[in-house]
Amino acid sequence: MPITVTEEISARFGEDAVITLLTRDETPTIRTPREKVVAILQYLKSDINMPFRMLYDLTAIDERAYKKEQNGHKPYDFTLVYTLFSFERNEFLRLKTGLHGEFPTHDTITHIWPAANWYEREVYDMFGIRFNGHPHLQRILMPRTWEGYPLRKEHPARATEMGPFKLFDDKVDREQHAMQFRPEEWGLKRHSEDADFMFLNIGPQHPGTHGVLRIILQLDGENIIDAVPDIGFHHRGAEKMAERQSWHTYIPYTDRIDYLGGVNNNLAYLLAVEKLGGIDVPLRAQVIRIMLCELFRIASHLVWYGTFAQDLGQLSPVFYMFTDRERVFEIIEAICGGRMHPNWFRIGGVAQDLPKGWDTLVKNFIDYFPRKLREYDKMVMKNYLFKVRTKGIGIYTLEEAIEWGVTGPGLRACGLEWDMRKKRPYGGYENFAFEIPVAHNGDCYDRAVVRVEEMRQSLRIVQQCLEYMPAGDFKSHHPLATPPVKQHTMHDIETLIHHFLNVSWGPVIPPGEAMVCTEATKGWNSYYLISDGNTASYRTHIRTPSFPHMQMIPLISKGYTVADLLSILGGMDYVLADIDR
Amino acid sequence: MKWWLTKAGDPTGKVAGNTSMEDVVQQSVLFSSVERLLGWGRKNSMWPFHFGLSCCFVEMATAMTPKYDLARFGAEVIRGTPREADVMIIAGTVFIKMAPVIQRLHEQMMEPRWVISMGSCANSGGMYDIYSVVQGVDKFLPVDVYVPGCPPRPDAFMQGLLLLQDSVGKEQRPLSWVIGDHGVIRPEMPSQRERLHDHRQQMTQFKTPDEI
Ligand code: SF4
Repeated sequence: MPITVTEEISARFGEDAVITLLTRDETPTIRTPREKVVAILQYLKSDINMPFRMLYDLTAIDERAYKKEQNGHKPYDFTLVYTLFSFERNEFLRLKTGLHGEFPTHDTITHIWPAANWYEREVYDMFGIRFNGHPHLQRILMPRTWEGYPLRKEHPARATEMGPFKLFDDKVDREQHAMQFRPEEWGLKRHSEDADFMFLNIGPQHPGTHGVLRIILQLDGENIIDAVPDIGFHHRGAEKMAERQSWHTYIPYTDRIDYLGGVNNNLAYLLAVEKLGGIDVPLRAQVIRIMLCELFRIASHLVWYGTFAQDLGQLSPVFYMFTDRERVFEIIEAICGGRMHPNWFRIGGVAQDLPKGWDTLVKNFIDYFPRKLREYDKMVMKNYLFKVRTKGIGIYTLEEAIEWGVTGPGLRACGLEWDMRKKRPYGGYENFAFEIPVAHNGDCYDRAVVRVEEMRQSLRIVQQCLEYMPAGDFKSHHPLATPPVKQHTMHDIETLIHHFLNVSWGPVIPPGEAMVCTEATKGWNSYYLISDGNTASYRTHIRTPSFPHMQMIPLISKGYTVADLLSILGGMDYVLADIDR
Repeated sequence: MKWWLTKAGDPTGKVAGNTSMEDVVQQSVLFSSVERLLGWGRKNSMWPFHFGLSCCFVEMATAMTPKYDLARFGAEVIRGTPREADVMIIAGTVFIKMAPVIQRLHEQMMEPRWVISMGSCANSGGMYDIYSVVQGVDKFLPVDVYVPGCPPRPDAFMQGLLLLQDSVGKEQRPLSWVIGDHGVIRPEMPSQRERLHDHRQQMTQFKTPDEI
């Protein structure tokens, strides 16, 4: 039997370096003493056989408010959680380390993974935990003038608890002043030996940034010397929200994380909830879910396709692509009733069965769309100017991509054939035949190639759903499925009580933690849920793909021109809500 | 004010009636007050500011695309700078970090300027009663029209725009600082809920969600 990571770590760092924890998602999870965690992470990244080269996620938990004691005692105030991924092993690994004190400090790991920079800033911003040796520990999501750390349990959650909002002139001035960019603070020089640099502020309101994003460029003439992205203008407190919504009523909030991906977000969240609850989803519900997910993937890619072409100066494609998106929405409206935010998946299944006539709609679309894709190839992908502006722009290598946590089409454009739907199938994807498109140059053009081909593959999956849609239930009969299947309630008191409680309070999900990584439209997306056996989660952390992608901007825009930056942003395909949550 | 359209290519002389002096004058001369003429102009060429905050903006952008075609109402000319825009559509969540920026952008728009609040978030904070969200953009900006929905369908947004156009067309603004009162006289706009109440009550047949 091959030895596990845990055994390897304890062989190297001693027995006391590892306490194996039990989780509901079968991700190997260990707790290590805080003195050893940095060394262990270094070892896992570079020395171990089949290393964990990607820092998938880094977050914290405020442990001070558990209603029940965990494992019979309550040892820590805060816990840091590092999640790593190894492509060689195809395995996640979760490391936890406990911290004591009201405002604890810990050592940074930015020298091991530069990508930890933003994650640590976020933990500081949200929990007030400081990292020694961090190159620039600043608030990242909240305004700099903010007082308090929102994800600490004592911080108020509701805006209505914090008094009425007033925007007096002096407050505007103060905030504007705090937003002023000071190059020295970021270690940027104002002059080189033979030139004065210009600092160009783009955003937070700018047509090219696809939302409220701010990027400050250090320019020598037209050339980008360095860039500083400033995010957080779109922070909607989705993680704090999860602590007060029931497991069921949180579903609509997930829709709004990657707001172009629709039900893909529902799926990532519900897979984790279902892991916690031990709920099996019936086959028909699985196939319905997958069909909707793939339709949304097409819709999301169409928005990207059109806006990307528009960013590069092609004004008409966006009109064609939005028109086709409407065709996708016709199906989605007929099935879910909603458009962008259908809120249609439920714990244990979907909201209701497919309506009569859905198959005709889907069939029409399958017949219609491939022709349009070919047309768009001619219109956009083969366009000379489009090629010139995207080929060889914004290149990163496969090593860099893994180092910085790039996932999704951006990773596949570097030549790695890695799609979570195939490699770690979830929710029934193992039953479908499709290919993983890859490209090899890792530039903006190749990212586009991958996405365009992905739409064809998604269409293939939709077609298989149409052909093989199984009969059966659209929701599980498990007592935690919400809302519970109504027809049982009148038979015995047990099911009636379950129905009553699930509808009034919401389901009580058994304690534990779980995370399921999904291939969302923009990359890997997962919800790390911790339940302490209540009607709401104790802590929810959303790992979104756009966050690490945006962090890479300085690296991949250096040396290009301002106009190229727009290609890079457009080719990246991010959504602000997916960055700031 | 009366106006009509003729097809392109129609000889201008080809007019209804017996081409008497009276008919020709009637069809080529326009009588109006300057005030109304300006109102008519403002109403039919509203330039929105290219400004989006969140998910709602995608639906607003969808309204410009062929299926909905905002150009029919003369409002498809999106301006990238506030100085050229007439109407600011607050499409999305109003974040506390963004509020001072929104305020400044609004100040940079020239009078006359209007604000449409699009979506539940901008109207009231919507489903986000959370520390980082302002509970409605009307906490610091004057709002002319509220469009409900999360997100409002493009059609709903267009209805909001039409309501605003309606009101703008009837609005009276001073023509110069020496003429008349200096205030803006806004028309009375009845609440849509009351106006449509009876009509809505008559709907009794609803399609079930089992059919498309
Ligand atoms: S109202 Fe709804 S759709 Fe609009 S910004 Fe808010 S959450 Fe998004």
